Amino acid sequence: MVNNIVETFDLTKIYKLKGKKQEIIALNKVNLSVKEGEIFGLLGPNGAGKTTLIQILTTLRQPTSGYALIDGINVSEKPTQTKNKVALMLDNKMLYYRITGFDNLKFFCKIYNIPNYPEKILNISKEFGLEEWLNQLVENYSSGMKMKLALCRTLLLNRKVSFLDEPTLGLDVKIISFIIDKIKKSKKTIFLTSHDMSVVEKLCDRVAFIDKGKILKVGTKDDIKRMIQKEIKIKVTINGSKEQLKSELNQESFINNIINENKTLIVSLKNRDSYNDLLLILGKYPVQKVKEQELSLEDLFLKII
Amino acid sequence: MISKEAIKNNISQILAITEKDIKLRLRFKYKLIFSFISPIISIILPLIIMGKFFEFNDNFGPWDSNNYIVYIFLAYNIMQLQKIINRYQLQFSQEKFWQTLPGLLIAPFNTYYLLIGIFLSYLILISIPLIIFFIICFVFFPISFFTVLSIIFITLLIALIFSGLGLILGIFAISNENFSPILGFGLGLIFMASCLSFPFEIFPLFIQNIINLNPLYHIFHFYRLVWIEDNIIFSISSHLVSFLVLIGSAIILPYIGVIIFNKIYKKYGIVGY
Repeated sequence: MVNNIVETFDLTKIYKLKGKKQEIIALNKVNLSVKEGEIFGLLGPNGAGKTTLIQILTTLRQPTSGYALIDGINVSEKPTQTKNKVALMLDNKMLYYRITGFDNLKFFCKIYNIPNYPEKILNISKEFGLEEWLNQLVENYSSGMKMKLALCRTLLLNRKVSFLDEPTLGLDVKIISFIIDKIKKSKKTIFLTSHDMSVVEKLCDRVAFIDKGKILKVGTKDDIKRMIQKEIKIKVTINGSKEQLKSELNQESFINNIINENKTLIVSLKNRDSYNDLLLILGKYPVQKVKEQELSLEDLFLKII
Repeated sequence: MISKEAIKNNISQILAITEKDIKLRLRFKYKLIFSFISPIISIILPLIIMGKFFEFNDNFGPWDSNNYIVYIFLAYNIMQLQKIINRYQLQFSQEKFWQTLPGLLIAPFNTYYLLIGIFLSYLILISIPLIIFFIICFVFFPISFFTVLSIIFITLLIALIFSGLGLILGIFAISNENFSPILGFGLGLIFMASCLSFPFEIFPLFIQNIINLNPLYHIFHFYRLVWIEDNIIFSISSHLVSFLVLIGSAIILPYIGVIIFNKIYKKYGIVGY
């Protein structure tokens, strides 16, 4: 059985606005779980509560109510033990620019008691293409190199769960694909937030949508699609005339509408349960291809939020 | 029972903080060098004024024209040590601005290691001017080897006291910067009434009564007397209250500093970045 590494129970965080009696609910009874070895993505617009959630899970903030467990340890009650389980990479990279890349990695390895760290630093820097830059001050690094170094640090620490807040923010496509590749290959439990839907889509096993502090949906991309998508669109490619099929389908009550597009018909079903009924009808015709029209994570995001 | 491995790991964590801080400060060396030079300006004036005073008066308490150089040069060393208080505050503010503070604060180490790590880095950085001024003092007013050891020990205790105070100011730099200047101002007043640059006997009686309530005065006074009396046993027995204030503060203040740091950090976290 796969253990839950991160669990939250009615986690709530309320900020009081200065000088006003108004309160901002940053997190509203958030219940989540992340399994061991899973890459979990948290998606939401600006101010949705993503960073607050990460800050609470990494002991940087206290929740107003509710609680969170990291590997079974209560984060608020036992922060020191929790700190042994987590690594954090914020979008600002958390690097000391005035010392070298090697000194940055060495410092974190030493405070996290990583054995044989010089060898490990050398290996990971080679893997990330940073070996020639290790003895340079970080202030001389490009944004992509800083992000690579920050990711090196997070992976070197080898914690039970790594929290990555916007790991690809402001980077070019080449670096993004490099970082996606490294995160995927790390085989670690990763909890990440991102605005970049394509990154989350490529990386995450499961995603959660958060807005105004509330978790709106959680699951795999397909789960969420099923949950929110009442009407589904099927693309049917047919050899020969489509008219007979079109007229037969038009008589069915489970069909919403049919769009004629070159060799294909795009059939909108009122609900997913009618999919088998459609297949029965299609069986009578020389159908070449039947494919559900894919919704991107971005489409889902816009539908949910 | 703590294992050898655990002790080794703890020392490694402390040294990591020390090493990182030293390297960060050495990035801009002139800034560091001038931080040693500027307190010299602060001691020039008392040096001239006190020199003039001794033309009219043979002595002020234990201080006369032969030993007041010790008084002034140890004042320089105390001023250097005093800066450790601001060091915590400055460093945390800087790390907040650099946004590296979360990385430091979620690291799995005890707050004492943070205190000791910064304490050591600062002592290493000021060691050269500190040693130079000790040597100058020694040339003017030689002391026995045992007194030298005692002076080094007291210097470390004073640095530890200031580290405790620094940690208290430091947490306010992290969680509520509004309180930092208030506390800083309060501490400034306490230092002003500690006879750092001018002897106690110079002040009028009612101010002397206030100064007598100041623990820092007793600590600095004891520090200097150990040097000029050159007999630690005699100094302890004849200034027992000052000695107890020194030891008590060195034990209590770092402890209180860590408690306040943890409580305030837990309640407010990092505010203002």
